[in-house]
Amino acid sequence: MADPREVRLEDLPGPKSREELEDMKAPYEEYCRKIFDVGNEFIKPGALEGIRWLSCTMYIFTPHSVANLGELGAEIIKVEFPRVADPMRHTSPFNECYFYPLHDTRPKSGTGIGVLNANVNEYYISLDYHRKEAQEVLYKLVKMSDGLTECYRPGTFDKWKQSYRYLQEINPRFIYVWGGGFGYGPKAFGGSYDILGQAHAGLASITGFHEDFGGHPVKHSNWCIDWYSGTQITVAVLAALYWRRKTGLGTMIEFSQVQAATRCLGYGVPLYGRFGVVRQRWGNWDTMLCVHGIIICGKSDYPDEKNPQLRNEARYVMVSAFNDPDFKELCSVIKRMDLYEKYKTHNERVRAEAQVEIYREIEKWAADKSRSEVVRILTEAGILAMPVKNDKEVYESEHFRQRGTVRWMDDPMLGDVIAQSTYSTGLFSETPRRKFWDFRPVGADNIKIYHELLGYPISTIQEWYEKGII
Amino acid sequence: MCDIIWCKKCDTVNYLDPYCFWNWEGKIKCAECGEVYYIHMIMGHMYKGPEPRPGEQPDILPLYADKPYDGYTNFPPGTEGKTRPYNCTPRHIYLGRADQRKFSIRNRPMRAWPQPPSAGIAGSQGFYWDIKKLSPEVWEEYQEKIKRGEVRDW
Ligand SMILES: [Zn+2]
Repeated sequence: MADPREVRLEDLPGPKSREELEDMKAPYEEYCRKIFDVGNEFIKPGALEGIRWLSCTMYIFTPHSVANLGELGAEIIKVEFPRVADPMRHTSPFNECYFYPLHDTRPKSGTGIGVLNANVNEYYISLDYHRKEAQEVLYKLVKMSDGLTECYRPGTFDKWKQSYRYLQEINPRFIYVWGGGFGYGPKAFGGSYDILGQAHAGLASITGFHEDFGGHPVKHSNWCIDWYSGTQITVAVLAALYWRRKTGLGTMIEFSQVQAATRCLGYGVPLYGRFGVVRQRWGNWDTMLCVHGIIICGKSDYPDEKNPQLRNEARYVMVSAFNDPDFKELCSVIKRMDLYEKYKTHNERVRAEAQVEIYREIEKWAADKSRSEVVRILTEAGILAMPVKNDKEVYESEHFRQRGTVRWMDDPMLGDVIAQSTYSTGLFSETPRRKFWDFRPVGADNIKIYHELLGYPISTIQEWYEKGII
Repeated sequence: MCDIIWCKKCDTVNYLDPYCFWNWEGKIKCAECGEVYYIHMIMGHMYKGPEPRPGEQPDILPLYADKPYDGYTNFPPGTEGKTRPYNCTPRHIYLGRADQRKFSIRNRPMRAWPQPPSAGIAGSQGFYWDIKKLSPEVWEEYQEKIKRGEVRDW
């Protein structure tokens, strides 16, 4: 009798062979291609059309939380301080290009490429909240908007009489988001950055190689906590909008950036709570599965490239063969059946000393091979292997191209730019995300908003501009 | 963690970065005096050496070296003949200033170089960049690129 704990392929619903899989896949793929209709997003409506949001934000974390709404069809007004603007504009990666233009007052320094993707589809106005004249303008905007996101230090907007408790009086349906570093509490007055969040929330301590390998705690190269917590705010905003539909009332959302990273700790926190075990970093090897990690191969896929990122670094492969038959196959491929004999069960393999030995032997086998050779050999043997791709390869990936995940767009101001953010966050059949433009110069829409929307005369706007109010 | 060779001859600390020397056997040169040392490291630990091999050819240079009793004297990465360079240098041409480009990697125009300000009333900007009108020289260059077949779709 068959072991009842064993799941047999024949018993599972779905295709029983590759041919059957292809047969079943084709019509479904056709269906998906048709309903998602990648590249034709603009003929469909946006899910959040009719929502107007104010973005008093800077850097990546809070801007991104609003950009999500803009990509989903909401009308966004981004408010920047006159002359100063969002400091993210001045954080172009060193030695990278600048995007023109910034502003009359800083014509020589363009907006840096680092700001891309964080403030998509927004109108840009400038406003100095300190000034008395500014208050009326902001209140007017609040009356005709659904919500606002700000990221100033705790209590700053309150001091300027524009926090939730004041704005709620003007517009009881108003949804107010304060996205800050630490939130209220003993650490209320610290500012925060992505790297600070990664450090403060214990994420950096479990990222990177183990100390035995010369490793240090590592922050991610990109601001993944900024992007991640921004998305979490968007989820909160959508829930608040739903709540408002039922009750007619607004909400204040308080979001601490450093707390977002604590969610990424996964089982680390309950592990400590239950056993007192402090999780450690383990580099490119999984602590719970073996083999399931990244190995280094001896040869680069692009040995003659000028660019060192391609020449020296295109030689890592992700390998997964943690169940017994796969591990046996892997040992046979690298001609080390003795390893299989030694570590026949997963419990034995996953132990630290075993992992050190096993990965080392795989890397020895890969020492005279290139990354693509290793991937080819392992794939042919039925083992899951994937090259560790670089940005160039992502940009050139046929899979991402066909799905429209990474695509070129003709930005009305910037010209030819490559876009991934909007289109990498899931496909919608009826109300897809789309990107009209990336960002605009400081105060680019001052006339549109102050004159056309709020009805102030051009002469007043000109006067504000000369006085530095906008 | 990082092992070192503390050169007895010249009191220089030569740093052995773990990624290169984790499992490594060979000869390394002191950045200050050029003395060659043989070492054999297994799993990040010094198994043999450092053992002076005067007159022999080194296999590798240290990544960084300094003289701790000598204030701030050091050899940063990439000091010619003394230390080896970082491989993670971002570009093969390292200019140290903004690289201003007019065309994207597929040779279509981008608005990515300093230009005179062109703001309208109260900083308001027109929405479209009419490249032919606003940057005629870039438009011309673009037409040439099209003729030469350098403009790609991807
Ligand atoms: Zn020496």
